[in-house]
Amino acid sequence: MDASGVLAIAREVQIPLLAVLLIGGCAAKARRALGARSIDAGIGPTGMFPFRLQRPVAIATCLSEFGLGAGLLVTAGSLGAGGPALAVRAATVLLFGTAVAVLADLRSRRPDVGCGCFGEVSSTPVDWRTITRAALLGLAAVASIGVPPLRMPGSLTRSGVVLAVTVAELALLAVLSPEIGELMVRLGRADPCELRRVPVARTLDTLWASTAWRRYQRYLISTTPTDVWREGCWRFAVFPGILSSRRVEVVFAVYMAGRHAPVRAGVIDIDTSPPSRYSSLTVYRKSTILKNKINILSNGPG
Amino acid sequence: MTSRGSQSHGGQVRRKAHVCAGCAELADSGPSARYARRALLRAAVFDNPVFDGREQEFWSTQRPTAPSVVTGVLTEVTPRAIVVARPEGEQFVALSPSTVTWLGAKVSPSALRPGDPVIVRRRTHRLVPGEPGHDEAAAANAANAANAAVGAAAASIAERIWARIGRVAGEILQVRGAELLVDTGQHGREPERVVIAEASLRHVQVRFPRLTPGYLIDVIGTRRGDGRLLAVTPATAQPPYLAAHPPAPPPSGGYDGGPISGSAVWHEPGDEPADLLGLGYAALDPETEGEPRSGPGAAGDPHEPCARLPYLSLGSAVRVSNDCSERAAVLPVTSCSASARQFCDRCVKCGTSPRARIADLTMAAFVELGGNLEDGCFNATLTLAG
Repeated sequence: MDASGVLAIAREVQIPLLAVLLIGGCAAKARRALGARSIDAGIGPTGMFPFRLQRPVAIATCLSEFGLGAGLLVTAGSLGAGGPALAVRAATVLLFGTAVAVLADLRSRRPDVGCGCFGEVSSTPVDWRTITRAALLGLAAVASIGVPPLRMPGSLTRSGVVLAVTVAELALLAVLSPEIGELMVRLGRADPCELRRVPVARTLDTLWASTAWRRYQRYLISTTPTDVWREGCWRFAVFPGILSSRRVEVVFAVYMAGRHAPVRAGVIDIDTSPPSRYSSLTVYRKSTILKNKINILSNGPG
Repeated sequence: MTSRGSQSHGGQVRRKAHVCAGCAELADSGPSARYARRALLRAAVFDNPVFDGREQEFWSTQRPTAPSVVTGVLTEVTPRAIVVARPEGEQFVALSPSTVTWLGAKVSPSALRPGDPVIVRRRTHRLVPGEPGHDEAAAANAANAANAAVGAAAASIAERIWARIGRVAGEILQVRGAELLVDTGQHGREPERVVIAEASLRHVQVRFPRLTPGYLIDVIGTRRGDGRLLAVTPATAQPPYLAAHPPAPPPSGGYDGGPISGSAVWHEPGDEPADLLGLGYAALDPETEGEPRSGPGAAGDPHEPCARLPYLSLGSAVRVSNDCSERAAVLPVTSCSASARQFCDRCVKCGTSPRARIADLTMAAFVELGGNLEDGCFNATLTLAG
């Protein structure tokens, strides 16, 4: 197959590709609108229109995308050949041309807003990639003008070329799509421990099974914590105790990851005064800390 | 503006029972001193200079200070200096031609009146005869007995003064003409009344086109004698979603344990001391600090509606950096921030921040870090301990 044959196939591929992208864009916008119970929610460029026009513009954008996508499919074959196909493809060129201008304007006027092209995954602020993608799709629409009615590939070679052109174009679009990164993130790993909600009871179970607890339990006068709080992956629990005839507080820090999580402990004189008012990291000298020897290095992190 | 108040049959304002983004009751967690003591208790465990290779500043027990901020009430205004009454005593601050004064707009210092609550960012100026500002500083120092000992060496010169400044952020409950009733989401607080200044109405509506019940608003203005806020400028752009239907939380894969970038905003002191250095945080541990306000309408995980932030508690220390001024400070978490849970917006003060309010700073902390209160936000980076 010569170059002109490949070029002809590439032009044919644009029609279903554009149709899928347009219908997909409309579906993603509709999904976001349904989720937010607001038809104009999250659709970036509509924010540049006067308020009374935002909702109609949002609806018109979605409907025009769906209409053009469906129109491209309907007129792709012999059914709408000629005038209807030309009209739909010319309208698609107009749509993407307008999109390029609007995105460039959006980038300068609202640099914090995403394009909203594919709903909530298009929240990344508009950059050169988004604009280039719209321009590329506009060129694809231009290339589709004049393409004869589509037919099924007649040979294995032709099918292979269709597949190769499609994959290459999708790869190029993926490079130009910030939505891909957002989708990859959404499909990413489970919550890290800092973001994971952990019941206090589970933390205490881990604590009671630890070496630090066994070592300090004999100094405690109560096994009910007087304060429990959390900082990222660490949860702290404070217990009243007596050490060397002095009232102390024993504080345990439990790392909230796995069954054999590291546990650290420290002891502080209970007579150490808290600050007179809550302005926070105040007034303590390290000498007030009686003992701080129990860093459980055998099972500590690192 | 039309009046579209949300009324019940009895004519009472209908309070939503499902404000999922608000803050829980924290009073039953104990007195504030207990939170402050957590720093000491934390230090008892992690008093190890090589702990995990992390910086020791997170485990410091030193109180954060704001040397460049003065908060209080004006007692005297002269062409060359102002006097600010604080709990510790009066503070004289010299004025200079470059001093910027804000009272609903940039005004001359002569517009200030005794009794105005003010917050001042000052710079300490070494007194060298003949330098610009020397006369003003010297005059202020001469009048300041408390500074007499150091008066020959340095004086305070006001860089910026904000008078009667206030801010209201939350869900619009009711609209009556130019007056709005706004639920700030803070437990135990009455809804705030906001009056939009007539001259600013169009300006506010450009950024907040939906001044209707159910949508969010965040405006800055001046506090009037009756407690209402006279809004003069929008603090951000209006989120497109209803307050009861915030966007789904982003995936946890976006969190890598490193510094978190976003927007730092500020809030009025409320019950806090005016000079408190700290921040409101959106992701307080619901197991120990109380559940966020939620109800039948709350959907999904109430952890946070916008950014994925690690769970922390009151008293936790974080480092907040102002990316626009390259100033940073380690600050304690001092409150739950309803605004940070409700607003999924960006700051474009210097570049475009990711979409998240990562810190809701006290006014003193915001000013100390170089923020200008009338701007509403600055681009920030949050670094956590552990």
